[in-house]
Amino acid sequence: MKQFRLAASRFGIHATLFVTIVLTSVPFYWAAQNSIKFTRDTIKSTPTFWGFSVTADPYRKFWFDNQEQNMWQVGLFFVVLIASVATLALVRKRFITTWPFTLAIVAAFWIALTVFPKIFDMNREFDFFVNSIFVTVFTVIISISIGLLAGYGLARYSGLSGAVILIVALGFRALPRTAFVLPYFFVAKELGILDSRLVIVLALVAINQPFTIWMLRSFFMEIPREIEEAAMMDGATRLQAFRMVIIPIMWPGIIATSLFTMLLAYNEFLFVRVLAVTEWTLPVAISALTGGDSAGTVTEAAAASVSITLPIIIVILIFQKHLVKGLGAGAVKG
Amino acid sequence: MNRRTFAGFTWPSVFVMSALMVFPLVTTIYLSFHRIFLRDLGEREWIGLGNYTDVLSDPAFWDAFRLTILYVVIVVPVHMVLGLGLATLLDRVKRGRGIYLAAMLLPFVVTPVVGTLLVRDLFDRGGLISWLWDVVTDDPFVITSGNVKWVIIVHGIWAITPFAVITFFAGLQTLPEERVEAASIDGAGFWATQRFVVLPHLRSLTIFVLLITIMDAYRVFDSSFVFGQSVGQAAHTLQVYNFEVALTGQIGRVGKGNAIAVITIIGIFVVLIPFLRKSYKEQIEER
Repeated sequence: MKQFRLAASRFGIHATLFVTIVLTSVPFYWAAQNSIKFTRDTIKSTPTFWGFSVTADPYRKFWFDNQEQNMWQVGLFFVVLIASVATLALVRKRFITTWPFTLAIVAAFWIALTVFPKIFDMNREFDFFVNSIFVTVFTVIISISIGLLAGYGLARYSGLSGAVILIVALGFRALPRTAFVLPYFFVAKELGILDSRLVIVLALVAINQPFTIWMLRSFFMEIPREIEEAAMMDGATRLQAFRMVIIPIMWPGIIATSLFTMLLAYNEFLFVRVLAVTEWTLPVAISALTGGDSAGTVTEAAAASVSITLPIIIVILIFQKHLVKGLGAGAVKG
Repeated sequence: MNRRTFAGFTWPSVFVMSALMVFPLVTTIYLSFHRIFLRDLGEREWIGLGNYTDVLSDPAFWDAFRLTILYVVIVVPVHMVLGLGLATLLDRVKRGRGIYLAAMLLPFVVTPVVGTLLVRDLFDRGGLISWLWDVVTDDPFVITSGNVKWVIIVHGIWAITPFAVITFFAGLQTLPEERVEAASIDGAGFWATQRFVVLPHLRSLTIFVLLITIMDAYRVFDSSFVFGQSVGQAAHTLQVYNFEVALTGQIGRVGKGNAIAVITIIGIFVVLIPFLRKSYKEQIEER
C-alpha cells in the first residue's frame, strides 16, 4: 500500500510539472507553428494543427529585402556556421590553452555577421539585429567591468559608506524607467547623441549597476579572504591579487551576472523606444510591426518572435546551470 | 581593506550611478514643477504644484493606478504560491529535472515584448485559447478593453512565476538534508516539515523574491504597451500612461509626465522603505 501511494504521488508530481511546462512552452510552439504558415491558415476560426502548407514567406518578409530569396541558401549558410563553431568548440576541449579557440569562435560569429548581409539582400531589420548585438555586448562588458571592481570593494570593505552605497543602489533598483528616461532624452538631444547606440548602452549600464554590484558582491563574499591575503603576503599588490588570484576563480559569478545583464540589454524596450529614432533594436522593431489590429502580420510577427527568441534560448541552454546558480546566489545573501 | 583602496575600487561604479541615476532623478523632480513641452524643451515656466493637481484630477491616471495596483496584488501573491509549490515539486524529482527547468526558464528569458505578443496571439482571433473558449462557450474569445486587464494579469503570472520557481528551487537545494530527516524522525508530516523546517529556511529568500517582484510588477511596461496597441487606454498601467503623456502626440507634456514619474516613485517607496530599513540594519550588523 505504501509503495502504491509513493508511486501515485510521484506520478502526481510529474503530471503537475508536465502540465506546467506545457503552459510555459505552448505560446512558443504556437508562434513557431504560425511562423511557417500562410496568413490564410492563421486566421481561420478553427486552428489547423497539422496538414497545413508550409512556407518560409514570413521569415523572408521580415529579414530579406529580396522577396525571391532562396531560403535553402540561407539554411546552408547557417549549417556551415554552426558546423564550424561546433568543430571549434569540440577541438577546444582537447587542448590546455583554450583561449585561441574561444577567440576563433567569436571571430567566426563576427565574420558571419559581416559576410551575411554581403551575400544576401537584407532588410533594415538586419541592422536592428546588429544594433541589438552591439548594445548587448557593450552593455555587458562595461557593466561587468565596473561592477566587478565595485562588487569586490563592497564585499571586502567594512566601513559605513559601503552599507550606504548598497542600500542607495537597492533603492535605485526600485525606480521605474520613466524616472530617468526624460533627462536622458534631453541631455542626449543637447549633446547631439540622440539616436546613437552609445546613449542606449550608457543608459542600460547605469540602470543595471545596482543589480550588478549586488550580485557580484554576493559571489565575492563566497570567496575566502585568506586567498588574496596569501597572495599579498607573497608581495602582490591588492590590484594584482584581485586580477590574478580572485578573478580566475570568479568566472562562475561573472558568467551568471553577464547572463542577466545580457537578458536586460537584449530585451530592453522602453529606453530604446524613447532614445532611438531610427537606430532601433529588435524589440522595438517587432512592436512597430504589430502595432494596431493587423491580422495580416500575424505570421510575420511570429517569424520575428522566433528569430528574436532563438539566440537567447541557445545562449541560455548553454549556460543554464550558471543562470540557476546565479538566481540562487543572489538570493542566499540578498 | 582601507578607505582609500575601497574608494579606488568603487569610484567608477559610484560615478556612473551618480551621473546617470542621481542627476537624472533630480532633473526629473525639478522639471515636474514646470510647464514644459516636448516640441520646445528650451522653454519652461515654473508652475509649482500645477502638474501634480493636473495629474491627480486626471481620470486616466486613476484608471492606470487601479490597473497597476490590481496587477501587483494579484500577480505577486499568486506567483509566489505557484513558485514555491512548483519548486517543492521540482526538488522532489530527479529524472527529467533538467528538461523541466529548461522549459520553465522560457517565459523568464524571452524578450517581454515578444512574450506578450506570443500570449496575445493565443487569445486573439484564430489563437489557441480563443478557439478553446469557442469550443467551451460557443463564442470565440476576443480581447476587448473590458477583459484586457485579466489577459495582462495572466501574462504577468506566466512571465514571472519561473523566476520564483528557480529561485526557490535554488534555495531548497541549500537546505541540509539532515534537518528534514531530523524533523521526520521527530514525527513531523509533510506539512509540519514545510511549516517548521522549509519555510524558515527560505525566509530571507522569500523576502528577496517579494522585494524584486513588487518592484518589477509595479513598473510593468512592455506587456501593457503591447496590449495598449490593440485595445488602447484600458490596457495602460502607470508606466505606459506616463509614457503616453510625456512622449506621444503633438504636444508631449513633459512636465506632467515628470510629475507622474515622481508620484510613481513616491508610491513604490511607501511600500519599500520598511524593506530598505531592514536591509540597512542587516548591512550594519554584518560589519
